[in-house]
Amino acid sequence: MTKLPKCEDKKLGLLIDLDTCVGCHGCVVSCKEWNSSGDEKQLSDINSHQKDPVGTFLNRVHSYERENSSTNEAETFYFPRSCLHCEDAPCVTVCPTGASYKREEDGIVLVNEDDCMGCGLCAWACPYGARELDLVSGVMKKCTLCVDRIYSEELPPEDRVPVCVKSCPTGARAFGDFNDPNSDVSKKVRERGGVDLMPEMQTKPVNKYLLPRIKSKDAVSSVGSVVEEETDATGLLGWVDRALSKF
Amino acid sequence: MHPAPSIILFTVLSGFGFGLISIVGLLQFLSQISAGDIVIFSVIGLFFSIIGLISSFFHLANKKNAIKSMSQWQTSWLSREAISSIFCLSIVVGNIGWVFVQNRYINEVGIILFLLSLFTIFTTSMIYVQLKTVPSWNNMFTPALFIFTALAGGSILLLDYASLVLLLIFGVLQVLFWYIADQSFIHKETSVGTALGFSKNEDIRAFDVAHTNRNYLLNEMVYKVARKHAIKIRYISFFAAFVLPMSLILMFPGNFSISVLVIGIHFVGIYFSRWLFFAEAKHSVSFYYN
Repeated sequence: MTKLPKCEDKKLGLLIDLDTCVGCHGCVVSCKEWNSSGDEKQLSDINSHQKDPVGTFLNRVHSYERENSSTNEAETFYFPRSCLHCEDAPCVTVCPTGASYKREEDGIVLVNEDDCMGCGLCAWACPYGARELDLVSGVMKKCTLCVDRIYSEELPPEDRVPVCVKSCPTGARAFGDFNDPNSDVSKKVRERGGVDLMPEMQTKPVNKYLLPRIKSKDAVSSVGSVVEEETDATGLLGWVDRALSKF
Repeated sequence: MHPAPSIILFTVLSGFGFGLISIVGLLQFLSQISAGDIVIFSVIGLFFSIIGLISSFFHLANKKNAIKSMSQWQTSWLSREAISSIFCLSIVVGNIGWVFVQNRYINEVGIILFLLSLFTIFTTSMIYVQLKTVPSWNNMFTPALFIFTALAGGSILLLDYASLVLLLIFGVLQVLFWYIADQSFIHKETSVGTALGFSKNEDIRAFDVAHTNRNYLLNEMVYKVARKHAIKIRYISFFAAFVLPMSLILMFPGNFSISVLVIGIHFVGIYFSRWLFFAEAKHSVSFYYN
């Protein structure tokens, strides 16, 4: 059903630390691998071994630079973008076939591919570009929060986390219950000030992001001093500076 | 947004079809139409509505599940549209059969058809209005424009001077829609800053894209139309959809073959108007690609 449930027990999601992410695309590759392997799963590519390959991904990493207002220097950061498993998920309510739904027990937003007619309206309704239509199977694809890993009884317990979290080499991604104030993700959100993406869209995302901290002014000025300040140097360096300046 | 021909044709053709059905329904209610004309014009309306619906069917990537789109009427405007259009067209077919066999009509069926076909056009427009991600659609000018576009188009064949009034309302709404759309292009609250969790005015620039080629998101939602061409297309659209039809109807009032010509010209204008409706609409996901 496309009516949104309350989700009073659990709100499972990801906490992504943009201060720690190094933009290696490891999460993208492991996500693609996990979700393309197996008997029934499909996350297709077109022209995959030819010119101009295009493919379906559930997770993509963008790169940005941001102006540090106190130093006027650009600072780069990386931004993994995937489904935020919103509490007020507009992608669910617009679905005409009932294929899109949000699970009451843990808040995960999923697509039942047996019901999807591939109209693409849910992808239009999502502000974040979290849904991509698979052009081979004709059904909508999105992050499942690796529902087939986290509840698996076959995998060893330490592997029962989303594959993007498991594979992240810098530990920039954490998985947990945002409804539990004592969970690690909830504590980090409180301590570091986790934020929502596009809060003005009123989707109430479950996933939270930790923004990159601004570098201090000293970090930048010590770089500049090598060139600027040694013209006034004294002693041996001053003699070298004066000697070199004559030519 | 990507201006998909299947979707544009759907909104243009079925909009006209349901517009014609609503005008026939109104005239039937007011006893201002002959039984023969009800049959003829209902069949024309039915034809265009169905061609439009078939066109929208071709937009689906997984057509075998199309029948399931009738199931989620409680939350989904697309589902409501599917149910409302099928329900309305069933009554049209019933009405045609009854009038054809009996050679008389029931006035009350007319008002039902009038309201139901208007509601169907309204549900079509609400598919776009509900999207907060596209501010130029997310306002009540969208349903007003869709409804009066349909009524104006539907009235050209059946009404003389009254169709001028409907065309005039359509023309005003079209200009207002473009004015409003230009305002909300600015995405009042959203920016690359809010898209990444910062404040709106944070100074952020993308320096590398997330993929090596185009993808579904870019093709579907990051469609860019050259501003200068968009303005020219607005002039063409307004001239064909409004100025020429008004002039021709004023010059040749009550001339049926001219009315048919006017419909053809009007279609071209509405096609361009709907093309712009999609092509000029900016989706919030485009901020990730600023």
